[in-house]
Amino acid sequence: MSTDTEFHIHHDSAEKVGRRERLGVRLLIVADGSFVFGMIFSWFYLRNLNENNAWLPKGVHTFTTASGYTAAIGLIIAALAHRAGEMNHGLRRVSSIVVFLALLIGAVYQWHQMAHMPFIAHDDNGRPFYNGAYASNWVLVAGANMFHYLLGAFVALGLVIRGYRTKLDPVLEEWRQRTAGSWFTWIAISGILCAIAASFK
Amino acid sequence: MTTLSHAPVSTRPIPNPKRSLITRLNMGTGIIVGAIFCWGTYYAMRAGRDMTDSHNVNKVLLASMLMWSFGFLVGIGALIGPFRWLIGKDLTAEEQLYLAGDGQGVKRYFKYCTDHKVVGIQYLVGVMTMLGVGGTMAMMIRTNLATPGSHLVTPNVYNSLVGLHGITMIIAMIIVATGPFGNYIMPIMIGARDMAFPRLNALSWWVLFTAIPVLCSAWFLGGIPTGWTAYAPLSDQAGPGMNAFLATIIIFAVSTAVAGMNITTTVIAMRAKGMKWNRVPIFVVGATISVALAIPAFPTFMLAMIQTGMDRTIATGFYDANVGGSGWLYANLFWIMGHPEVYVILIPGVAALMEIAPVFVRKPLFSYNAAIAGFAGIAGLSVLVWAHHMYMSGWMPSLNGPFMITTEFISVPTGLLFLVLVGTLWRGRPWMKLPMLSVYAFLWNFLIGGITGVYLSDVPADNYLHGSMFVTAHFHYTLMGAAFTGAMAGLVYWFPKMTGRMLNERAGYIAFWLIQIGFNVLFLGMFMAGAEGQPRRVADYAFVYEHSNMISTAGAYSVGIGMITLLWAVVHSWRNGKIAPMNPWGAKTLEWTVPYPVPLENFDVEPIITSDPYGYGKAAN
Repeated sequence: MSTDTEFHIHHDSAEKVGRRERLGVRLLIVADGSFVFGMIFSWFYLRNLNENNAWLPKGVHTFTTASGYTAAIGLIIAALAHRAGEMNHGLRRVSSIVVFLALLIGAVYQWHQMAHMPFIAHDDNGRPFYNGAYASNWVLVAGANMFHYLLGAFVALGLVIRGYRTKLDPVLEEWRQRTAGSWFTWIAISGILCAIAASFK
Repeated sequence: MTTLSHAPVSTRPIPNPKRSLITRLNMGTGIIVGAIFCWGTYYAMRAGRDMTDSHNVNKVLLASMLMWSFGFLVGIGALIGPFRWLIGKDLTAEEQLYLAGDGQGVKRYFKYCTDHKVVGIQYLVGVMTMLGVGGTMAMMIRTNLATPGSHLVTPNVYNSLVGLHGITMIIAMIIVATGPFGNYIMPIMIGARDMAFPRLNALSWWVLFTAIPVLCSAWFLGGIPTGWTAYAPLSDQAGPGMNAFLATIIIFAVSTAVAGMNITTTVIAMRAKGMKWNRVPIFVVGATISVALAIPAFPTFMLAMIQTGMDRTIATGFYDANVGGSGWLYANLFWIMGHPEVYVILIPGVAALMEIAPVFVRKPLFSYNAAIAGFAGIAGLSVLVWAHHMYMSGWMPSLNGPFMITTEFISVPTGLLFLVLVGTLWRGRPWMKLPMLSVYAFLWNFLIGGITGVYLSDVPADNYLHGSMFVTAHFHYTLMGAAFTGAMAGLVYWFPKMTGRMLNERAGYIAFWLIQIGFNVLFLGMFMAGAEGQPRRVADYAFVYEHSNMISTAGAYSVGIGMITLLWAVVHSWRNGKIAPMNPWGAKTLEWTVPYPVPLENFDVEPIITSDPYGYGKAAN
């Protein structure tokens, strides 16, 4: 084993560093989870309040029920592909590439969805606005998905590149795969939760 | 408390740093790149946009502010680590040692330095600066309120003063103990060689640093009219200065999440051998519970700010009732964070005092388990009380009763904290040094803050007192009278370890009494005004409140002079103070076993913990 590019000035074993990194990421998932919980709370709060009957004003077009799930498909595929790579080391390089591509394509799709939202209206001066609380919540959920796609793609790209480098500590890299797995699993769950919320029009 | 094993920590020779990009980046390059990103974004986004449309103005300003923060991080080198990770070329030993600031003297304080002790000092200086700025605004507020009909500032400027004083102080108080002491002292206290994620540790500080000019820019953009709570829909409609507030909170929430994750991971995963959970110093427990509470709490505040930002920039309607939004949504999201945040501030201050009390009465901490139960109980209940801030808003009156009960119930774990401190002092012979005085000051201040809190948690009483100066006085008693007093004690107590010098005692005593007496005069006067009915956040008042306001302003000036004296004592002692011995207080926790300056990796040999940290007065110790 060569560790030319992997060195810890505090001399802890790769095992310890790996466990620590996983714990750190899980704590960040708690923070992100709180944010997602807040979004879902906002969705149902404003939906049930239906202030001025403007949750979904008359004549406003909506996404289909499936739209939330299609937006999350990239996240789900990425999590599954990463899990497959974890279970079968022979597939790891391929699975890393699949994860990256799934997240990249998912991000492009999410961007497309955001650019073609059916509920953007225009005021008397021709300025666009999101008509109804449903529309406001949708754009927020889409934005959060987009954030997850981009951050996930960054991590996935790192794993792809690192998978081809030989001078890395294999024990630590194994831990980083697991740590990344925690993140990919979480963003898939988050995507599904948001999709479930978004299916309540 | 400890024995030291003789296994060497490090055998690897320290290589010379290479001249690479990392060595050329510092705060100056950060500011330059940040300014380029900021102005570049500003001019690029302005082009072709109708800048008479407030949505466009908000879009351009908010993006420019966030790009300033991002650009600064690029310029100071914060993203080198992630980028190198991405391309599979991790930082070399030389680069990691360089980032740790090894052998760089004062320059490392202006760099992206990963040494937790440097980050601790950066936080300390940052906190003192923020307290200075926030305190100056407080003095202007009190001066304006000294007499009725005063026109020192216009009502609009007064509103901005109140809001910016509030948010500056809230941010400063959130980090006042966990920033400097959580970073500098806590890793040494648990026998760790550094924080779990040194680069993220530096990131948490420098991200926070970028928020300071953003918040200050609010003044040049017309200020904020909303108070620190930034209630919607007022914040939706406010002028361009509001963007600075939103950007500050978004940046601060990122910093808090990173710092909270780092401190929690460090304490869970990096304690010295033999440091079981019942041997962890109480300050470490308190700081960890506090930041762990912040991890889920602050994202909801960030969400509320993002929703406000979206309303202001792309015309969503989260808080606009015309398009299905509701101000109550904001109030809920804000206070779901807002009340735990009070305890995020309070717990580390109380924990610092619990750390100090046994040292100065030479007795074990009375009921360590009760202290843990108190902290845990407060943290647990704090997420179930948020709607007591909304009794009078009309939101869900049927829930007022349940929230009143949960709020009043929180006085039980809070009472445990009192019991622990009083039990520790009981029949002790206190060594009346400056840190110890703060323990008594805390008990007095927090008793008043706590009891008045019970009034405010009571729905009928809150019906009368809500929105009055009584509320302002109450939360200042808890945040300043309790949490700040604890942090001040921590500063005096750990000053010798952080600077190698003793704090000037005479100046410290003068500052202490000026602050504590002035504080009580100031806020007891404010209780009076509030009980008489004076509303808060109003630039002028009726003559009937004249005397209580005059008393409050006199107290404020005493606090102000005390703070200046404290600042002088800190600066003077840091430069010219008496050289401190390694363990001036005769304490038993690990930080007092290392010399000053503390070595890069804290310990020459790994500590092994064999007993609890409060074994004073026991024969075996």
